Amino acid sequence: MPPAVELDRVSKSFRVRRPRRPGVGARVRDLLRPRTEAVTAIDRLSFSIAPGERVAFIGPNGAGKSTTLKVLAGILHPDAGEVRVLGLVPSHERRRLAFQIGTVFGQRSQLWYQLPPRDTFELLGRVYDIDRLEHRRRLDALTSVFEIGALVDTPVRQLSLGERMRCELVASLLHAPRLLFLDEPTIGLDVSAKAAIRELLRTGSEREGVTLLLTSHDTGDMERVCTRVIVIHHGRLLWDGAIADLRRGYLKTKRITLWTEAERLDLALPGVRVLSSGSYRTEIEIALEITPLGQVVDAAVRQAAIRDMVIEDAPLDEVIRTLYASAEPRQVTS
Amino acid sequence: MAKYAAFSRVAVARAGRERGDLYGRVAFFAVILGVFSSLWRAAAEAGLCVAIEPRALVWYLAVTEWIVLSAPQVHLDIQEAIRAGDVVYRLGRPVSYVGAEVAAAFGVLAVRLPLLGLTACVCAFAFTGWIPPARAFAMAVPFGLVAAALLAALHVWIGLLAFWLHDVSPVYWVCQKLMFVLGGLMLPLAIYPGVIQRIAGYTPFPALLAGPASFMLANGGATPAALARDLAIWCGVTAVGLGWTFRRAATELTINGG
Repeated sequence: MPPAVELDRVSKSFRVRRPRRPGVGARVRDLLRPRTEAVTAIDRLSFSIAPGERVAFIGPNGAGKSTTLKVLAGILHPDAGEVRVLGLVPSHERRRLAFQIGTVFGQRSQLWYQLPPRDTFELLGRVYDIDRLEHRRRLDALTSVFEIGALVDTPVRQLSLGERMRCELVASLLHAPRLLFLDEPTIGLDVSAKAAIRELLRTGSEREGVTLLLTSHDTGDMERVCTRVIVIHHGRLLWDGAIADLRRGYLKTKRITLWTEAERLDLALPGVRVLSSGSYRTEIEIALEITPLGQVVDAAVRQAAIRDMVIEDAPLDEVIRTLYASAEPRQVTS
Repeated sequence: MAKYAAFSRVAVARAGRERGDLYGRVAFFAVILGVFSSLWRAAAEAGLCVAIEPRALVWYLAVTEWIVLSAPQVHLDIQEAIRAGDVVYRLGRPVSYVGAEVAAAFGVLAVRLPLLGLTACVCAFAFTGWIPPARAFAMAVPFGLVAAALLAALHVWIGLLAFWLHDVSPVYWVCQKLMFVLGGLMLPLAIYPGVIQRIAGYTPFPALLAGPASFMLANGGATPAALARDLAIWCGVTAVGLGWTFRRAATELTINGG
């Protein structure tokens, strides 16, 4: 089966104005002949995504994530390289592709603010040439899954952010896209709304075989929805693999919390940092490259009987921070 | 076309929901007509030279204001969509972005034109006690509808400038002032100096306002054929300009990275 998304050495740069120089003369010169510089947003980026995969596409601010999504949607044209989405070239076949992809931008809205979501749903039915009966059947099904029955006739301006987001997702799925681009779909939502949206995305993708490409700064979105992560930085590919492999590949430390018969432990081993100790509870961080986990546990057992123990990976946030820190600085050419 | 009709229908629904805006326009329209009918009546009673019959001037103003007040300020919607980034949704749909915006503007016109047209007739009659001949309406109304549609499309064109400009309001206000002077918004162009009339002839403003409204005057300046030709030319120029500007705007979006 051909890939749902395929990028081969894709590059995209923008020309941006340089900052103004001080002085009246310089300002006049800048006005008459603005100085610009090329900023590379995507730099020879290559990856492919199989149909039905759920992929997190992450990177720090300005890494080129949104630009990549817009290139994939055909809104922006790449400067170099080849892009194929569902077998189509987005920059040349944008309208054909639009029928097969959906987009959700968490900080944007496609719903008409003054009107109930139903009006936008009806409009989208027309825009995507959906047969009336099929549109009704599809809307009924999505209304049930996303539990928006009570919301579809309420003006959007009266909806909470979580309610609006569920309606945004329905709007993006109405035309049964084979590929869904999600840009920060849970931004600003509370914990339970986030959990609901993540669950809906995961189960919806599994049920309908929709390929997901999700960008988010929230590691919870990646862990709960996606199985694979692509990390970019300065427009370049930094990591591409399973989320579990990302942890293993970049995990330099583990945290252990021990509840012991002794009030405190004295674990003076190389690579071991005691974060807190006292009241029969000791929390330590181990640099695995220096001292193996088993050696530390053995040392603890020798000092006191252990009542309970919790071994934790470093949070995914920390892993990703380490990954970003390893990247090179951005290249700017005049 | 069904797709664009859907955009118009949603815009009709939206305009229907924004009743405060509609009522505000109706009230403003009534006040404007009341003020100017009193002004011109007073001028005539004071013996000042008024080349055109004051009651005809009120109906003239009723037509120009009908067109201006009906045209939606769609440039603000476009500007807001570009600023907020919502434009990426609209650009990603299988429809023409400009076509969808123009269709939505026509939807708003479909609500405002009848309501404000009725307001114009009721108020102008109430303030003058006179109704122009049916032939004047037969000419002014269809030309006025086309002019309002053209004005709405021009507003879309101004809105597209938001891809370059942070704020398109100055462009809109310059356009408003030019309509005031070169379009004969308040007074027929025939009253203005010759040089102004010649300059106005090179702009779309006389065809937008003075042309349709002049049918309300006993010796109106416009002939139907000439006005139809001018409106057709400016509709063509606007269509080409919209397409060209949007293509350039898409390039600018590329530069800004969306």
